[in-house]
Amino acid sequence: MTLFTKNDCRLCDQLKKSFDLAAMGVAVEVLDGSNAAALAHLAWHGLVETARKTLPLLVLDDSSTVADFRHIEEHLLRRAAQYGVAATAAGRGAEACVSGSCAL
Amino acid sequence: MPLKAEGKGGLESSVHREDSTDIALFVRTSQEDMLDWDRQRIVDALLRETLIDRDTAERISIEVEEIIQSGKVKTVTGPLIREMVNAKLLEMGLEEARRMHTRLGVPLYDVDQLLVQHNKENANVPHGPEATNLTLAEGIKKEYALLHVFSPDVADGHLRGDIHMHDLGFIDRPYCSGQSLEYIKKFGLNLPHALSKAKPARHADVLLAHMIKFAAALQSHFAGAIGWDAVNLFYAPYLEELSDREVKQLAQMLIYEFSQQAVARGGQAIFSDINIYWEVPKHFEAVPAIGPGGEYTGKTYAEYEKQAQRFAWALFEVYKEGDATGKPFFFPKPLVHITEKFFRTEGHLEFLHHICDVAGDKGNTYFVFDRGETAKISECCRLSFKLEATDFEDAKEPWRMRYSALQNITVNLPRLAYLAKGDDTRLFTLLTERIQLAVKGHEQKKKFIERLMALGEGGPLSLLAMKLDGQEYLRLHRCSYLIGMVGLNEMVKVHVGDELHQSEAAMKFGLKVIAHMNIVCKKMAESTGMKFVLEQTPAESTAYRFAKLDMAHFRADAEPVVQGNRDRGEVYYTNSTLFHVGAPVNPIARVEREGLFHPLIEAGSITHLWLGEAHPDKKALADFVINVFRHTQNDQLAFSPEFTACLDCGRTTRGLHDTCSHCGSTHVDGITRITGYFTKVSSWNKGKLGELAERYRNQGQFAN
Repeated sequence: MTLFTKNDCRLCDQLKKSFDLAAMGVAVEVLDGSNAAALAHLAWHGLVETARKTLPLLVLDDSSTVADFRHIEEHLLRRAAQYGVAATAAGRGAEACVSGSCAL
Repeated sequence: MPLKAEGKGGLESSVHREDSTDIALFVRTSQEDMLDWDRQRIVDALLRETLIDRDTAERISIEVEEIIQSGKVKTVTGPLIREMVNAKLLEMGLEEARRMHTRLGVPLYDVDQLLVQHNKENANVPHGPEATNLTLAEGIKKEYALLHVFSPDVADGHLRGDIHMHDLGFIDRPYCSGQSLEYIKKFGLNLPHALSKAKPARHADVLLAHMIKFAAALQSHFAGAIGWDAVNLFYAPYLEELSDREVKQLAQMLIYEFSQQAVARGGQAIFSDINIYWEVPKHFEAVPAIGPGGEYTGKTYAEYEKQAQRFAWALFEVYKEGDATGKPFFFPKPLVHITEKFFRTEGHLEFLHHICDVAGDKGNTYFVFDRGETAKISECCRLSFKLEATDFEDAKEPWRMRYSALQNITVNLPRLAYLAKGDDTRLFTLLTERIQLAVKGHEQKKKFIERLMALGEGGPLSLLAMKLDGQEYLRLHRCSYLIGMVGLNEMVKVHVGDELHQSEAAMKFGLKVIAHMNIVCKKMAESTGMKFVLEQTPAESTAYRFAKLDMAHFRADAEPVVQGNRDRGEVYYTNSTLFHVGAPVNPIARVEREGLFHPLIEAGSITHLWLGEAHPDKKALADFVINVFRHTQNDQLAFSPEFTACLDCGRTTRGLHDTCSHCGSTHVDGITRITGYFTKVSSWNKGKLGELAERYRNQGQFAN
């Protein structure tokens, strides 16, 4: 499972705060404008155009993609439970990215 | 005693010296007159053209004069004196002065060859006196560019084959142009220094005449393609009074005019593209339409959907018929945009079948995929200008929509792998350095074009400086600067061990290389304020040039990976990020896998599917196109059938054959797509011939 994020992305930060992603075996790729490996990984999954519209993106182990923030949280909560890692989802309204920076 | 002209004819008359003691030499100068010998002219030229001091100039002139006086030289010409002076400069270690004093020109032997033999650097240039003029002029301008426009490190990078600066022979022009018909609909044919000016057209056929002439004028000011946006839509206001037959006639005239306009620059047909939409693009829906006489019609373009569709349909009827002998038209290339709205527009499936019928039969159709809210103008072999916020603002007054890439510079990727010797850090460092060199080249060309543009309407680029809508026609601040790549496949093969289609590791490494290029371009754009974007280089001759240079200078490394027939010298690298043309990959896998690169290459990518003799069913192709749109990232797609044209009986048959299947003649020529356009195989360079022999034909992959 891979979570594609960006440094100045509020929603990405929210997920990083809410979940111990490393403990859950979720790889985090940071698309920071100089990380060719992360961008190539994103392209490998055919998600460059999607990421230009929205971040974060979660790629599941079966290579399917989740782009909706609420659904990403749900998947991560299930994963946390599976790995016995404590986690709490962000409150209602957390999915809004008012700054527009939650995209590549 | 004065010298006498030999008068023996030939290409060069000369002047003979009868008495070696006579200092009153006549010198044949480059101004085509005869001047008395005057040593001072050498001094003057050295002081005018270089930065050396007067004493040194005097010394050189005396030494040159002594050689001439010695009687060793029988024929004295301006170029010879310059060569002698340059030799002296070199003897004195004055290399920079020698460079500044260089005479640009072409050896006699080369001119002799050029006049007779076909130059195949660009398959769109025929063989003839006009083409020879073009080649000779290009040769001199190329030398000028490498000596005078670009710094030695950039020029050397090109000459070594680390990078390739495209169209150096057109150094005083931008690379290509995409525009709207609205410009001539609104302003008429009103070109600087024209012998006459025409008001905006009142009739569709006059608009066509204006379009063709404007395209020819643009061809004289740009190195490459001339593209037109939404052609069927912008013609629509002129079509309301025309019958279907008249619309078809207009379509026929448009295609034949562009296709047969092979009489202008270098005898070259204008590399022309027409962008076509079945729907009215969202950004033009509410735009007031301009009609006959340049007047607003009182309607918006949304109201012209049916007329636009009628014209689009007719254009493809003409493409389907082919020319008088059934051959496909080479130009103008029809680029059909497949968008979300396309699928919501009535009649789209019938139109898709119609254009797929043409794609399978003649190969003309290009499918341009604009997914989501994306909109673009496409042209050249695959170049596209993606519309941004400012462009959508311009779309309200579509005559403002004109786009240009100022130059294209391509990086030789396989060579980086030879130099890196398996070291990732070294490879990415070298790649960054090459991009930085390309950026430097772009900055230097920009500066040069700015200098020419600053001369305004009195300068050589007066057409581009005209300000009919208040802005210069060439909006330099909006230009793109293209950075291309050749041979990703071979680079990966050397560095990783597999070709792109052979393993996941190879694909992933290839993506990392292109991602790195994308990131460096963005960083360079931020630091310079210039728009650097990646484009899949068409590399018609660059793929051959790089492979040939690497076979000469990196033979041990290049020999195992270079493609083509080494014995015949038909070597090449795989174009841009494409899979090897001979890879036996099924079409959907090729489109899907190659398409993974496309979002990283923002100025245009394409996948070619070579059909050979296959003649796929239009519905099978339409299903394929829909799948590509819905389920891949692929940017553009073209299907390329092959043909044999008989030069004796005039018939055209499917497939590439040595003899005509109708009359048995061996006097035949092949026709298929070379890079992004159809042309005669006899005009192809050796590298492309090597590629043609290896192309994997998708026979049996689609229902016939």
